[in-house]
Amino acid sequence: MNVNVSRWILVAYGLYLFLPLYWLMSMALRTNADIVGEFSVFPVAPTLANFREIFVNPVWYQAFGNSLSYVAINTLISLAVAIPAAYVFSRYRFLGDKQLFFWLLTNRMAPPAVFLLPFFQLYSAIGLFDTPLAVALAHCLFTVPLSVWILEGFFSGVPTELDEMAQMDGHSFIYYFFRVFLPVNRGAIGVTLFFCFMFSWVELLLARTLSGAETKPIVVVMTRTVSASGLDWGLLAAAGVLTVIPGVLVVWFVRKHLVKGFALGRVS
Amino acid sequence: MLEVVDVDLKGAEPAGEGFAHTFLPGEITVVLGANQSGKTDLCRLIAGLNTRATGRVWLDRQEISQLDSRRRSVSMVYQAFINYPNLTVAQNIGSPLRAQGIELPAREARVADIAERLSIQDYLGRFPHELSGGQQQRVAIARALAKQARVLLLDEPLVNLDFKLREALEVELRDLLHASNTVVVYTSSDPRDAFSLGDQLLLLDGGKKLQSGKPIDVYRQPVDARAMGLLADPCINELKHEAREGALRPEHVFFADDLALRGRSCIAFELTVIACETNGDESFVHGEVAGAQWVMRCDGIRRPRLGSRVSVKALEQDVIWF
Repeated sequence: MNVNVSRWILVAYGLYLFLPLYWLMSMALRTNADIVGEFSVFPVAPTLANFREIFVNPVWYQAFGNSLSYVAINTLISLAVAIPAAYVFSRYRFLGDKQLFFWLLTNRMAPPAVFLLPFFQLYSAIGLFDTPLAVALAHCLFTVPLSVWILEGFFSGVPTELDEMAQMDGHSFIYYFFRVFLPVNRGAIGVTLFFCFMFSWVELLLARTLSGAETKPIVVVMTRTVSASGLDWGLLAAAGVLTVIPGVLVVWFVRKHLVKGFALGRVS
Repeated sequence: MLEVVDVDLKGAEPAGEGFAHTFLPGEITVVLGANQSGKTDLCRLIAGLNTRATGRVWLDRQEISQLDSRRRSVSMVYQAFINYPNLTVAQNIGSPLRAQGIELPAREARVADIAERLSIQDYLGRFPHELSGGQQQRVAIARALAKQARVLLLDEPLVNLDFKLREALEVELRDLLHASNTVVVYTSSDPRDAFSLGDQLLLLDGGKKLQSGKPIDVYRQPVDARAMGLLADPCINELKHEAREGALRPEHVFFADDLALRGRSCIAFELTVIACETNGDESFVHGEVAGAQWVMRCDGIRRPRLGSRVSVKALEQDVIWF
């Protein structure tokens, strides 16, 4: 009896979570007339026209390309900077290390809006405005500290004896770092990649301000799709579906390590 | 031959105050000391790892104190089971050979040979986390042996294993280590290791050298109560007799009616029994003698009544006077 009740609650909650996703998907497969017309749970005449429009119209597919390019640059820079930094924080004690480490996290406490103006003016002045690198670097301000924190937690869980053993075996540091240390921590790197990706992919404010006509990201295009004939519901929904997919893919690859990542790697 | 000179294990003494010790090849030197006595620091100093200990290290008449740990002919086995988690057992054992630039066929032959000596030849394709604790430590020992270094440091390698496994591996280790002409340094806090493994014994206390020599000699003539205590199981019994201070080992205290005492000159004491424990084979009787805590170890099951006063004796020759 009890088992049955809890199972039904679970099913109901699952449906509740799934409903908006389903509705998004169903809208993406309908024409505008169908969407604003009579209520129906299933699309009356399913069509892929909305998706076709996105893959044919440069405004849409370039927006996806723009988003993906600055997200990729951001993720790469964040990992390239945070991996060595986290290694040093986990292995060495130096003057002010704890303060520096905490200061890194305080960067996360500032809302992105605070940095809008300085970034905009600075990037305009040095000609970085309206390039993928502009958004990527601005996002690094938030993703690098987060990455260092997550990675440091994971790296500290690897005993220093392992480093020493590789030394005594006669291996160079480079060999140890790339053949042993990074493979051992691949879960941690996957989780960090996920957090960088997710921040950069959904962040709207900095992305909108620092991108011009050449580099409009998808989140910006989506919020501006109002034409003379009103909102293009179906097209927006299709873009929404395509926006969700990369996130789902990344989560799928790091699902095993994700919980530990949310605890910043500090679960034994 | 490995020599350490002017060693200060706590890094707190002024230079020139440290101790010196020489380790000979082909012998196992057991370094015995309590926790925090500096055993691990001594190993790390010899291996060239980060440590608070200071001192100079000479290997075969060449000073290696400044040499990077990568270039020292030293290998080490840790107390925790440390292996490369992402490499198979075979790759783990072959790791130092790979660093030496030995080609794959030769490497595989050496790995197979060493794995067989440590009876882990069936697990070569597995990963360390798929093995039991004892097998993981065997892999670590195999890797240390594979390097064929002139110095092998074993830092309490068996302390995390259960005791049956420990005894089995200890016997194997002794034969394995004696077969090579290596300087073997084996740290432990268990006096039994000193006798079962050690050709030489080095006693450490509070970062300083207490005494060294053959285990039996150190046992017979400890320099002071601390040295004697390190080799006693569980601890020594201090006594005062005719204005002299001395100590007795637990196994040298007998009940007054013991046959071993007949016709020999003895000293008698009165012991108030506080607690008894037995494991069937031997019994430990804890008590008080003239204000001092004593413990006696005797064969078989002995259970004197708690609180009773019993007469105990010790042979005069067994008392160590300081």
